[in-house]
Amino acid sequence: MTAARVSRVSGKYLAFALAAARRTLAEPTLLVGRCAFLGVILFVFSRIWHVIGASAALPGVGERELIWYLAVTEWAVLATPPLFLSIEAEVRSGDVACRVVRPVSYVGAHISEAVGEAALRLALLGPSAALFAFALSGGFPADPRGLWLALPLVLVAAFVAILCMAAIGLSAFWIVDTSPFFWIWQKLVFVLGGLLFPLELYPDWLQRIAHLTPFPLMCWAPGRMALGLAPREALASAASGAVWVALLCGLLVVLSRRARARLTVNGG
Amino acid sequence: MSKAIELEGLRKVFRVRERTHGFVGALRGLVAPRMREVVAVDGVSFAIAAGERVAFVGPNGAGKSTTLKVLAGILRPSAGQVRVAGLEPGRDRGRLGYRIGAVFGQRSQLWPHLPAADTFDLLAKIYELAPVDYRARREELVRAFEIQEICEKPVRQLSLGERMRCELVASLLHRPEILFLDEPTIGLDVVAKATIRDLVRERGRRDGCTVLLTSHDTGDMERVCERVLVIHRGRLLLDRPVDALRRSFIPRKRISVVSEEAELALDLPGVRRLPSAPHRTELEVDLRAVGVDRVVAQIVQRARVLDLSVEDPPMEEIVTAIYAGASADEGSP
Repeated sequence: MTAARVSRVSGKYLAFALAAARRTLAEPTLLVGRCAFLGVILFVFSRIWHVIGASAALPGVGERELIWYLAVTEWAVLATPPLFLSIEAEVRSGDVACRVVRPVSYVGAHISEAVGEAALRLALLGPSAALFAFALSGGFPADPRGLWLALPLVLVAAFVAILCMAAIGLSAFWIVDTSPFFWIWQKLVFVLGGLLFPLELYPDWLQRIAHLTPFPLMCWAPGRMALGLAPREALASAASGAVWVALLCGLLVVLSRRARARLTVNGG
Repeated sequence: MSKAIELEGLRKVFRVRERTHGFVGALRGLVAPRMREVVAVDGVSFAIAAGERVAFVGPNGAGKSTTLKVLAGILRPSAGQVRVAGLEPGRDRGRLGYRIGAVFGQRSQLWPHLPAADTFDLLAKIYELAPVDYRARREELVRAFEIQEICEKPVRQLSLGERMRCELVASLLHRPEILFLDEPTIGLDVVAKATIRDLVRERGRRDGCTVLLTSHDTGDMERVCERVLVIHRGRLLLDRPVDALRRSFIPRKRISVVSEEAELALDLPGVRRLPSAPHRTELEVDLRAVGVDRVVAQIVQRARVLDLSVEDPPMEEIVTAIYAGASADEGSP
């Protein structure tokens, strides 16, 4: 493939991402609602952490750090658009027909749209999460340098989550209703991903199992950086992210080929 | 003349799960689902020359949309040979995408929350159009389809007719060699239908692109196309010029009149009064005996007309006529 061809092809997917970002901006009330929801979640859990005195659970980690941990994990989770719902809706309605006639990868276009929307959500929810965490915890974590490392890791978290959601969305070509797969995936993100609590609070055996899956990448990896500067763990998470991205891309290639062969279009 | 579309013995079979009633039936369906085959297209063959405008008509469920989706590379054929622009749609979908355009009347390729102009920009990237060419082409189409003002409004705020004009522009931006139109006038009012038909015919002529239009509205084929393929229950019933089909199988029109007078009586040959209601008269006009213009003239002369519509007989009736061999020139080319 020539450089010009690479540029034209990547330009297509960039155009999808930019159009999705414009669409997200066209619905500002949804963005405001998401920010408000983030504030409510952080408020509720900051009170819980305060009452149960979680600071005793992890040495060197206080209530403030745990609130910042939650702010980062919720930031990553709320920034990821529910891509599986768009694919499911298109399969259900038959609108998939309009999308697959174009000379562009169906899944690639959806992933690009989700990346564009996630980028905008990350940019808007990030400062909100930081403001809420600062206000509710009364300051920055003891070692705030780790927060800088949370920035690239939250991008990895969102991208891995988008790839997983694309795979869940493609299951619509077989089962139409993708919600069972999504519920399972979402609960695994909450538990094995460490959405509410750092994985360090889990028993050793469960931590080991969690780290064999991609779920910690989606919450714990960026959230961990709020507990203190940990460059070695950040590098390990980035490397693990690269492996999971490659594996998930391979899975998506296989799934999308099979989905195309199975395609029937609802509604005539 | 080179062939734009060639189709030989196309068959498309869908496997569908049989639904069983009751709780036990639902449980049995989960454990051992029973599948049955539905033949949507059954051995259809035809060829379309480059630049031809062909209507593919038939009643609902006849298999026309399925055939079109196979031709566009959306569905894979169960059997048969298909070539579109010299390519095999199932195998060369990526390359074929650059050479075809498609509009599905019941679906939208435009982003609902954004102006149509934004979708045009996105499509220019997808089809890798050079910026200068794209701007010139967009300008030309926006003017031809008269969407200067509406293409800057969010698509969800457009009427169906306005949206369909934008859909057509979106499908023509990359100068497709072949344009597939699936029920492009469905749900439109009379004026919007006429506008869309005129625009498609005119654009097909100007660009020299091949048009394959599916519809169950005979008006679409009469106004846009020069040749018609009639499909019913997955099989090709008829392939002939539109004029010949009209002469043979659409010899009647229906006129519906709402008048201030409770009763309306006409004394013209070939006009039959159908079951009507007070103030609403239904007429069937045999075009071989009298023209629609004469009938309408007499109606206007004899009554104060509140509303009047002229319609073709429904597609189902035409198919029945074809089956019954009602035409004198049955079997002629």
